[in-house]
Amino acid sequence: MPMRPPLDSPPPLPPVAHLALKVRLMLLFMLLLVCGSALYVLYARGAFEATQRLVLVADDSEGVVVGMDMTFAGFPIGRVRRIELAEDGKARILVDVAARDARWLRTSSVFTLVKGIVGGTNIRAYSGLLNDPPLPDGAVRTVLQGDASAEIPKVVAAAKDLIENLNSLTGSSGAVSASLDNLQALTGRLNGPGGALGVLLGGEQQAQKVSAVLQRTDSLLMRLDAIAAKTDAQVFGDQGMLPETRATVVQLNAMLGEARASLKKVDAILVDAQAVSANAREATTDLAALRGDVEASLRKVEGLVSEINRKWPFARDAELKLP
Amino acid sequence: MAGMTSTSPWHRRLSRTGLAAQHWLVQWWRLLHLGALILVLALSPSSYRPGSRQVMGRHLYTSTAPILLGFTLLCALVTVVLTRIVMATALSYGLSQYALQVVIRVLVLELIPLTAALFVALRCTIPDGAELTAMQASGELDEMRRQGIEPVRSEVLPRVVAGMFSGITLAALSSVVAVIVAYLAVYGFTVSGLAGYTRLFGQVFSPAVTLIFVLKTLLFCLAVSLMPMASALYGMRGERVRTSAEMRGLVRMFAVLLLVEVASLVGNYY
Repeated sequence: MPMRPPLDSPPPLPPVAHLALKVRLMLLFMLLLVCGSALYVLYARGAFEATQRLVLVADDSEGVVVGMDMTFAGFPIGRVRRIELAEDGKARILVDVAARDARWLRTSSVFTLVKGIVGGTNIRAYSGLLNDPPLPDGAVRTVLQGDASAEIPKVVAAAKDLIENLNSLTGSSGAVSASLDNLQALTGRLNGPGGALGVLLGGEQQAQKVSAVLQRTDSLLMRLDAIAAKTDAQVFGDQGMLPETRATVVQLNAMLGEARASLKKVDAILVDAQAVSANAREATTDLAALRGDVEASLRKVEGLVSEINRKWPFARDAELKLP
Repeated sequence: MAGMTSTSPWHRRLSRTGLAAQHWLVQWWRLLHLGALILVLALSPSSYRPGSRQVMGRHLYTSTAPILLGFTLLCALVTVVLTRIVMATALSYGLSQYALQVVIRVLVLELIPLTAALFVALRCTIPDGAELTAMQASGELDEMRRQGIEPVRSEVLPRVVAGMFSGITLAALSSVVAVIVAYLAVYGFTVSGLAGYTRLFGQVFSPAVTLIFVLKTLLFCLAVSLMPMASALYGMRGERVRTSAEMRGLVRMFAVLLLVEVASLVGNYY
């Protein structure tokens, strides 16, 4: 067999400068990429975070998948790690709660498993009392289940009942219709004679009586007005009670001045009497006369005061203080 | 006599079918054999002696570096467009909470490994296969064998390893770029969505999905690196079929890619 010379050998690869370095860099780059990606996946799966275990017991774990979140106030704080069927036929959902978020779970926390009509199932945690002791590791809790799609038939049945009730209410013989008829009659009477008063009092006659009472009240008020004007003239007019009283007070002032002078005289006489106490017996006649004078003066004052009291009914302090 | 004449066409047809089946089996067996051989050679330290290391390094560099930037940019662009489309559609249906998950699943899990493998096939391994076919046609490989150099080790192994390396690097880099670009397209230049995004990413990449993703990428890269070489080495033998050997190799390669993709979909979603 003759040796066949190479016909069209492929052109050799072009030389690459710093080939070894570049190849090493590329290998390093790929290793970094792959290892970084692997680490990121592990981190995203929660491999590096400290967790505590929580076991949720449910009648039905339908819709729960491994890896789904458990949320608290909308924030994911844990993931479902495993779902298993317990000996008693209930589903055990094993949830890993991140240690830093575990403080939101308390011994009084409530867990719900809600299935939406559209979208996945949600596991939610609610902590009403954040002062309670924190949930221990490995706690087992029963999950409350709410199923939106299971509620639909109930809601539909309730809505049907409601609509039937509404129909019977709004029918031609229903309560709403009768009420509307009454309302119509009422508005007719409102527009008629007597108006709202007739509606309120139940008849036209009563309404007329009320208007008569109103008229009489009006005339009464006018008479009251006239009386008030007369009273005003009598009390505050030129010949009224108040100016007379004022004049009496002036007289009273003058009389009081007289009384004061008399009393001063009495004082002086008493001083004299004291001075001449040795001759008391001699002065007895003089003293008796003076005493009669004083008594008469005092009686005058008393009469005046009573007259003032009679004439001035507005006096507040009827008591007169003698010096 | 009548029986003899009636069995004769049947016999011919049967023998032809048998031959075709045998041929088909032999070809797939050769492919598997070559793959196993390449794997063993790739894992044995003797393939990385200084002389062959330089050849391998050159193949590695020339098959990866020129296409890395272009492919990454292309991926970023496709990611931006797809993310916008998915987000806008999801918003209009009120399902925006699922949009990012869909983007990650479609792009990173499904599209990028396949695209990377096809890109590597078109830019590196099919030209490499053509080169090898030319060497085979010119008798260079036979010459090597006569000189005691095994061409599988000296010519095929560096190309397969370079193709696999290129495919894995491209897939990894463009996945990272796609994840970052999708985040930026949804949240903008802020770090406030990072925690939620990471959590979502973790939900998508469950252990099974991650395993399937890694296996799928590796098998894609292996398929696009190995099959053009196999058809170059063994394709010259069967010359009865009208299509050329390269074309048949390509068809076989696409069939294998499709098979791997279907298997991965079955694994992920059933």
